Amino acid sequence: MSKLLLTTVAAACALAIPALAHSRQLTLTAQLKNYGGDGAYLAAYLTNAKGAYVRTLWVAGGKAKYYKHLSDWNRLSSGDTKRLAGVTGASVGAGRTLKVTADLAAALIDAGYEIRIDAAAEDMRDSPSEVRVPLSTGNAGKPQAGKQYIQTLTFQLQ
Amino acid sequence: MGWKAIHRWLGLTIGVLAVVLGITGAILAFDPVQQAWQAPAAPDDLSVATLMERVTRTVPGAEEIRHLPSGAIVVFGFVGDQAQAHYVDPADGRVLGAWQPSALPRWVKNLHRSLLLGDAGRWGAAGIALAIGVLCVSSLVLLLRRMGGWRRLAARVRGSLAQRIHVVTGRVVLAVLCLTSLTALTMSASTLGLVALDAGTEPDVVSVATGQTALPVGQLSMLQNLSVQDLRKLNFPDAADPEDTWKVATSQGEGWIDRYSGKTLAWQDVTLAQRIYDWALVLHTGEGAWPWAVVLALVGASVLLFWLSGVFIWWQARRQAPHITGNNPLAQADVLIFVASEGGSTWGFAQALHDALGHNGHRVYTGALELFQTTAATRQVFVLAATYGEGQAPTHASHALERMAKPSANTVPVTVLGFGDRQFPAFCAFAEALEKTLRAQGWPALLPLECIHQQSSQQFARWGQALAQALGEPLVLEHVPRMPPTTVLTLVTRQDYPGLVDQPTAILRFAWPAQSGRERLHGHGLAHFAAGDLVGIVPPGSAVPRYYSLASGWEDGFLEICVRQMPGGLCSTHLLGLQPGDHIAAFIRSNPGFALPRTRRPVLLIGAGTGVAPLAGFIRRNDRHTPMHLYFGGRNPERDFYFGPEIQHWLGEGRLASMQTVFSRIPEGGGYVQDALRRDAERLRDLVAQGAIVRVCGSRAMARDVAATLDAVLAPLQLSVSQLKAKERYAEDIF
Repeated sequence: MSKLLLTTVAAACALAIPALAHSRQLTLTAQLKNYGGDGAYLAAYLTNAKGAYVRTLWVAGGKAKYYKHLSDWNRLSSGDTKRLAGVTGASVGAGRTLKVTADLAAALIDAGYEIRIDAAAEDMRDSPSEVRVPLSTGNAGKPQAGKQYIQTLTFQLQ
Repeated sequence: MGWKAIHRWLGLTIGVLAVVLGITGAILAFDPVQQAWQAPAAPDDLSVATLMERVTRTVPGAEEIRHLPSGAIVVFGFVGDQAQAHYVDPADGRVLGAWQPSALPRWVKNLHRSLLLGDAGRWGAAGIALAIGVLCVSSLVLLLRRMGGWRRLAARVRGSLAQRIHVVTGRVVLAVLCLTSLTALTMSASTLGLVALDAGTEPDVVSVATGQTALPVGQLSMLQNLSVQDLRKLNFPDAADPEDTWKVATSQGEGWIDRYSGKTLAWQDVTLAQRIYDWALVLHTGEGAWPWAVVLALVGASVLLFWLSGVFIWWQARRQAPHITGNNPLAQADVLIFVASEGGSTWGFAQALHDALGHNGHRVYTGALELFQTTAATRQVFVLAATYGEGQAPTHASHALERMAKPSANTVPVTVLGFGDRQFPAFCAFAEALEKTLRAQGWPALLPLECIHQQSSQQFARWGQALAQALGEPLVLEHVPRMPPTTVLTLVTRQDYPGLVDQPTAILRFAWPAQSGRERLHGHGLAHFAAGDLVGIVPPGSAVPRYYSLASGWEDGFLEICVRQMPGGLCSTHLLGLQPGDHIAAFIRSNPGFALPRTRRPVLLIGAGTGVAPLAGFIRRNDRHTPMHLYFGGRNPERDFYFGPEIQHWLGEGRLASMQTVFSRIPEGGGYVQDALRRDAERLRDLVAQGAIVRVCGSRAMARDVAATLDAVLAPLQLSVSQLKAKERYAEDIF
């Protein structure tokens, strides 16, 4: 094994270990109201202190033609070509619960970042920014009410 | 596979699912109707800015306004944490009541568009819509074939009640059903992601804060110039987000407006795909057009009617399917009989031939004409071929000609026997085509082509005699027609005429028993009939029915015929011996070529003797006072002017425009009816030039003379009777 390769591997490990150590797992639990409609489309995403889009956490609902109804997320994330990579699932029925996890860099916590969810259901009103919760340790485990579709949104950090 | 098979099997199978879509569709049409009555529509000339001023006054937390397809205005907003949606009165912004997207449970819509099966179900529903489209196309082809072309599409429909329901309903709703299928497919294409409706991603625009306060909605110039008529939706900028914009959606596109400057920041036109989708949506759902929704509901419900009547027709046809008793395997048979028959009646003749030959020790195989072939064992082949409609082959035998035209070792005699009706210009045309093809291919024939008129058992028996001679073996062809179910009729009145010497005549009027709905659906009981149709009567002691032309229609409430004593006639003797209260067994046979179409054109009726009966029936029902002109030929007004008093009465009422009578056995009687025609040549030319329709009823000799006379009369117009026949303007009822 060449010396160069060994050095490279060693350097990579040295860099990666602290990164792993500083990664936290975020669990989002959204309990939906019985709003009396078809399954809701939901987009959970992260914005920074300036309100700029950072990344998408989860998109519930598979038909791209309806994404325009998740209007804030759709507009803010339009430049992110990988916004759907590995983070999509089925739409969530009325009264059901959506539970998803995402890995976050620890540096994002308590740094002014915000979890936002846009929601929409067919024949009903779009609800951009259905819920907005600051990503802070203090808010973890505290249920937050949504405007139209979400009964409570809770996030846990591990 | 022909259109008929496609229609039948698609209808029987996918039809069940189409019924589900039809019924749920009919229920869904309730929404647009209900919404039309729920809130007042906004006036078209109202500007959006004015409307918004009113709304913001009465609903402080408004976030979104929608102009519904019904014309009503709905405002969305929040009261505390509670999302609210209300109708408002566009005249003053007053809150009217809560808005619901639909008054129906969600599952109805989901059943309609996806059979409650999610995305797979949407593909399924689209497939059903496509099947309905194919059913519509095939039904149009079959309808045209049945009615005999576009021009006769509106003609009277005959058949059992199930057939009439199927055809009449089809004629009415076909176009709408086809449109529904087409719009469903349009909508499916976008839902299933085959067509993109959007103009692309939304523009990234923000309101630019300049330190001023936001403009009040009434001062936004774009909204001032936009009328509510064009508005779809208006979203208010978020109070908490200083960069948020107004967003307006109209029928033309979408715009974003700066909340401070009021400038239009971006505009996206509606795509063509979206416009098509919008149209399809309105046409498919009736949204915003409640009378159309009512039409759609009726058409949706009619799918059930189609399916039920269709299944019934199929089941009836199956029960009546031909079945040959004592059939032999094709390979071992020395005599082959091939049958081409549309209605199935020709199979009865085939069975008679089959039995007679089998009786002589032949091994006989009988099959449908499309199976035409010969084997090493074959010694004789017979083809019994009926002609359908305008000279076409019966549907099942449509490829038989091509099959026969293929060259092969053609050494076995093939004899063709045609069946048809002389009233049609294409009498036995298919049998003639078969004969021509066979001879051209070098097949020998045992007997020349013979054509049987109107399923005449007598003519068939005569052909049997010729066949017996040709085969050199005794052969008696006794065809007992498969009798349609008969109804017992009761003689109500009889009107006697002395007629000619030893030929008393009477007009007999019968009543039929009341029928239950079940009987009518099955096509049991007496079929509906019109003047000019035939009634088949089976006299006691005979198996062969005799046919009489009807002088009345179903609407008249009685069944009337004119019967003349035939020398030694079994049926006429029986009928003329009846007294009021006596019964006969009878059935109806339609006579579509002779029945009078609904028309405003002049009608020329030419009849002699009892042949006046169907013509009298036409005049009796001439409630619309179509100009009808009657030429009647009798022998003596004292003895055989049938319907005389009635005809005089109808002349007075205007049901009959003019009448010419001639009597051949009295001095100065005017001769025969063709003499009267010749004398009126000028007038007849005039009537025919106006497009007159001609109906002739009488003996064969009389019809031939009338045709010859009219040919001479019409020669100056470059017209002939055969040309008129081809245009369906001339028909004969001959006895």
